[in-house]
Amino acid sequence: MSVILRNQPDQRFAPDRMRRTVLEMAFAGSTVHIACAFSIIELLTVLYRNHLRYPGNDPRAEGRDYLVLSKGHGVMAQYACMLELGWLDYSQIEGYFKDGSDLKGLSDSRVVGLEVTSGSLGHGFSVGVGIALGLKRKGRDQKVYAIVGDGELNEGPIWEGALVAAHHQMDNLMVMVDKNGFQAMGPTDDVLALGDLSAKFSSFGFETLEADGHDEAAVDAAIRQLWATGTNKPKALIATTVKGKGVPFMEANNLWHYTRLDPQSFAEAISALDRTGGTQ
Amino acid sequence: MREAFSNALLRLALADPQIILLTGDHGYALFDEFRKRCPEQYINAGIAEQNMVGMAAGLARVGYRPFVYGLAAFIPIRTVEQIKLDIAHDDLPVVLLGDGAGFVYSHLGTSHQSTEDIACTRAIPGIEVLSPADRFEMTAAMNYAYAAHGPVYLRMGKSDRGDVHLGPTGSLKPGRLLKVRAGCADRPGLIATGSMVRAAVDVGQSLDLQVWSAPVLKPLHADDVCAAARASNGLVTLEEHSVFGGLGAAVTEITSENQPTRVLRIGVPDRFSEHCGTYEYLLREHGLDTDNLRDRIVAFFKLVSSNSKVDGSN
Repeated sequence: MSVILRNQPDQRFAPDRMRRTVLEMAFAGSTVHIACAFSIIELLTVLYRNHLRYPGNDPRAEGRDYLVLSKGHGVMAQYACMLELGWLDYSQIEGYFKDGSDLKGLSDSRVVGLEVTSGSLGHGFSVGVGIALGLKRKGRDQKVYAIVGDGELNEGPIWEGALVAAHHQMDNLMVMVDKNGFQAMGPTDDVLALGDLSAKFSSFGFETLEADGHDEAAVDAAIRQLWATGTNKPKALIATTVKGKGVPFMEANNLWHYTRLDPQSFAEAISALDRTGGTQ
Repeated sequence: MREAFSNALLRLALADPQIILLTGDHGYALFDEFRKRCPEQYINAGIAEQNMVGMAAGLARVGYRPFVYGLAAFIPIRTVEQIKLDIAHDDLPVVLLGDGAGFVYSHLGTSHQSTEDIACTRAIPGIEVLSPADRFEMTAAMNYAYAAHGPVYLRMGKSDRGDVHLGPTGSLKPGRLLKVRAGCADRPGLIATGSMVRAAVDVGQSLDLQVWSAPVLKPLHADDVCAAARASNGLVTLEEHSVFGGLGAAVTEITSENQPTRVLRIGVPDRFSEHCGTYEYLLREHGLDTDNLRDRIVAFFKLVSSNSKVDGSN
C-alpha cells in the first residue's frame, strides 16, 4: 500500500482542485480578485504540502510555522487550502460573501488560519518581520513565510522591513514575491517599474533565488535550497508567475483583477480548468 | 515627568522580560539607563516607524509586550493605519508612546508638532488613550498602560510645567477624572488634560474655579463628567490639541447626551503654527497662554451667568 502511495503524485492541495474552489467561491460571492489568487496557487500548494508545520493540524498551535499573506488580495487561494485542511467547510465556500459570514474579500487575522489583516498593502510583511524576530529571540525553530505581491513592493514599509530583517539576521524569514507583472491599474513596468528584484533583495542582504512560481518542483527545490544555505540572512524567493494562471482567458489579462464571473464565464472557466487539467 | 516615565519603563521591564522597547531612533538620553540595564529588551528599529509598528504587532503575536516610542508626530500620526490594522484590530497588548506632543518642538515647525494625535487614536476602536499631566500621573499612566493588556496610546506633552498633584495619584481608573482643585460651584468648572492641567490650576487659583484632570481620555465615562457639570456653572475644557476630536469633543459628546451643559472648548484652533519661537510664544500664537485663557474663561462665565438669569435656572 505504502509503495503504491509513494509512486503516486501527492494529491493534497492539487492546484486544479484549488483553482476550482476559488472559482466556485468567486462565483458564489460574485467577487473579484480571481486572478490575484490564481498566481499564488502553486506557491501555496508547495508550502502547505511540504513545508508549513501545524502541530495537531491546529491553525493556532503555538509551535506552528507562520504563513503571512501580505498580498491579501489572493486570500481565496488560502481559503482553498484551508478547505483542504478541514479548517473551513464547504458551506463557507458556497456561502462566500453572504450577509453575516466570516470570510472576507481580503486576508483578515480574525479568521482562524489567516495570520494578518492585509489588503491594505505593505502591512503583513512588517508583522511577519516582527513574528520572525520574536521567534528568533525565543530560540524557536519555526519559520515565517511572507507572500508579497510585486505591485505591493511599491509600498515603503516593505523596504523598511527588508532592512530590519537583514540587520537582525532573520534567517527564519522567507519573503516570497508573487511576480505576476501586474498591479491594479496595469503592468508593473508601466505603473512603477521594479527593476531587478533579485538584485534588490540581494543588495538588502537577503539570500535570493528565482523560480517559476507555477512549477511545483522548482518552487519546492528553491525553498529547500534557500533554507539550506545555512547563512544568517533572511531569504527571498522571486517567483515568476502568471496573473490568472490556469484559465487561459484570464491569464495575464488584468481585467480579471476586477471582473466578476457570470454563469457563462464561470462555466467556461471550469471547463477550461478541466481541459488544461494539469496535475490530475 | 520624563524621569518618572523612564523610571517606570525600566521598573516594568526589569519585572517583565517580555517587555521590549522599540524606538524609531529617538530618545537618546531618555533611555540611557534602560539600555544599560535591559540591553536585550531594547531595539532601535531605525527611522522606519511604519515597519516598527507592524513589527511590534508581530512581536505581540508571539507573546512579547512591546512599548513603541516615537515623537507624537510619528507615533501615532505617521503610523495611524498600522495602529488600526496591525494592532487595534486584534486587540494586541502594545503601548504606543508619543513624546513631544503639542508644541514641545516649538522651534522646529509643523513636522514635529502634533495637535491631532488624540483625535486620530480616539476614533480607532479598542484603543485606550492616556494623557498624564505631571510625574505622578505619568507613573500611574505607565502602570495602567502595562496592566491594560491591550492597545494603549500614551501621550506625552510638555513635561516641565511642574506638579499638579501633591503626591502619588494612586491607580488610574478607566474613565475617571481626578479632582485637582476645589472652587466656587456657581462658576465654570475646568477639565484639562496633559500640559494644560497646570495652566488650568493657575487660572483656577486666580478665579477660584474647580479643576479636574483627565489623564484617561478614552474611555471617558459619563459619570464623572456629568458630576463635574452638575457641580459647576458651565464647563471649560483645556488641551494642547486641536479643538476637534480631543478632550473637548469627548466631554461634549457626553454632556450633550447626558447632562446638557454649556461647554467652552479651549484648544488649538483649526490652524497650523504660523511662526517659530519659544513654547510660550507658540501658546500665545494659538491663544493658549494664561492671560488669554483667563480672558476667555471670564467671558464665558459672564455668558453662562447671563443665560442662567434669562432662563431662570440655577
